[in-house]
Amino acid sequence: MRTVKRYLRLYRVFLAQFFKSLVQSKADFFLGLVGFFLTQATGIAFLYLVFRQIPMLQGWTLDQLIFIYGFAQIPRGIDHLFTDNIWIVAYRLVVSGQFDRYMLRPMNIFLQVIFERLQPDALGELIVGIILVVASLTKGIVLVDAVRIVLFFVSILAGALIYTAVKLFFASLSFWIKRSGPVLQTAYELANFAKYPTEIYARFVRFIITYVIPFAFVAYLPASYFVKKEVNPVSTIGVECLIAVVFFAIAYLVFHRGTKRYESAGN
Amino acid sequence: MRKKIKIYLPFLENEFKSNLAYKGSFYLFMLCYLFSPFINYYLWMAIYGSTDSGSIGGLTRDEMVIYVFMIYVTTEMVFVGISEYIREHVVEGSVVMNLIKPMDYRMSLISQAAGTMVYRFFAPTVFVWIGVEIYKACVLGMGITPLSNILCYMLSLLMSFLIYVLFDFCFGMIAFITTYMYGMQLIKDALISFLSGQLIPISFFPEAVGRLFEFLPFSSMVYTPVMIYLGKYSGAELAFVLGRQAVWVVLLYVTGSLLWRRITRRLVVLGG
Repeated sequence: MRTVKRYLRLYRVFLAQFFKSLVQSKADFFLGLVGFFLTQATGIAFLYLVFRQIPMLQGWTLDQLIFIYGFAQIPRGIDHLFTDNIWIVAYRLVVSGQFDRYMLRPMNIFLQVIFERLQPDALGELIVGIILVVASLTKGIVLVDAVRIVLFFVSILAGALIYTAVKLFFASLSFWIKRSGPVLQTAYELANFAKYPTEIYARFVRFIITYVIPFAFVAYLPASYFVKKEVNPVSTIGVECLIAVVFFAIAYLVFHRGTKRYESAGN
Repeated sequence: MRKKIKIYLPFLENEFKSNLAYKGSFYLFMLCYLFSPFINYYLWMAIYGSTDSGSIGGLTRDEMVIYVFMIYVTTEMVFVGISEYIREHVVEGSVVMNLIKPMDYRMSLISQAAGTMVYRFFAPTVFVWIGVEIYKACVLGMGITPLSNILCYMLSLLMSFLIYVLFDFCFGMIAFITTYMYGMQLIKDALISFLSGQLIPISFFPEAVGRLFEFLPFSSMVYTPVMIYLGKYSGAELAFVLGRQAVWVVLLYVTGSLLWRRITRRLVVLGG
């Protein structure tokens, strides 16, 4: 209990520092937000233009696909907001030896890494995601009942944890190969496959995004539970939670092992 | 002319060599970039599978396969940014060195970009391109693309490259106003991918909107060469779209010169 309290206090200190740097550059922050917003908007515009030509896409309506698209942004945005510093570990901190500073402080190393930075650009993803989900709710295409409301939030958290686990796992490889940024980037980009229903892909691709790097469980599979009555919550959100916990445990273990064998770069 | 080549060719060579130096990560990034044409490929196949009409937006299913992968080939070679270099030069102050050297700053940047383009052509764009042709001939049974189309495509591609780098030079002038360009870059990339035909063929837009977009410089960056490759233009129309590209090259060149002259007049550099 005391440790939890101590860490919460520390996080407040880190956050305060971060907000100070944020207000320094309001215009930059705003432009970044607009940029993310536009990127997402073109994705939606793409779907609109396509659905001018076809009524349904393999049994999915435009409204349902927009819901999936928006729903997928939320866990991605949450992870992006809180754990963005993991990218810098993969690209720079280990190879340059700057990782030293985490080793020296009397505090959990993983928490130090993610406490150090918030990524406000992620608000672009979160805002777009929330707008699209709310719009879908008002259109009445989303099923709403007590169980689904609870599972909605559970699924978002589990999804964010899957993202974090994938990032942490591949970033930790840099303790062995020094700079794992490009590998991480490749794995992370696979998430783009999950923006659309997995059944459109060849079996090989489906296998990878379901079982190897399970981004299908971040977006499309849980989202389908919220729009289709016949979908079983255990095989979608249940499995999602299981994957989140198992993958995160593995990633954390690898990270922990890595910090044990970390050797600093010379000066 | 000869002297000019002697001055700017080393920029091209250097950039080519420094690209070679980071081969490992380069190939991984290539793999990343290939994700997107494959996602698009599967998505379009599902879209064409959801309709009875043989062609959507003026493209048949088979043409769309070629379109998706030729978009990859084209954007790989055309989208070589130089604004990031300008930002670095401004931040470091080394832009001043480029002002006192007896050469054109913009030409040296374009030569660097050309080096990257040549590198990307060999690794691995040309192999994807050959793959497209093999797939087209053997699986789709459409035969190999006629040589005249390929030559017109290459000419168009060269102008597309110039349009993009000249545009990016103008965009890079923002670095003299603010050195934080990340947000502006995102906005630029989103707009270009939407308006250039990279995300979706311009023919999918409502007609009036599509016609408007075709007259912006962005469609000349990607859409025009790919449609030429597909053999969608002939005769006068072909001459017209090529001419439009040439006009954009000139317009953006002049705009860049004017911007550069105005900005360097009020430039103050510390150190450098």
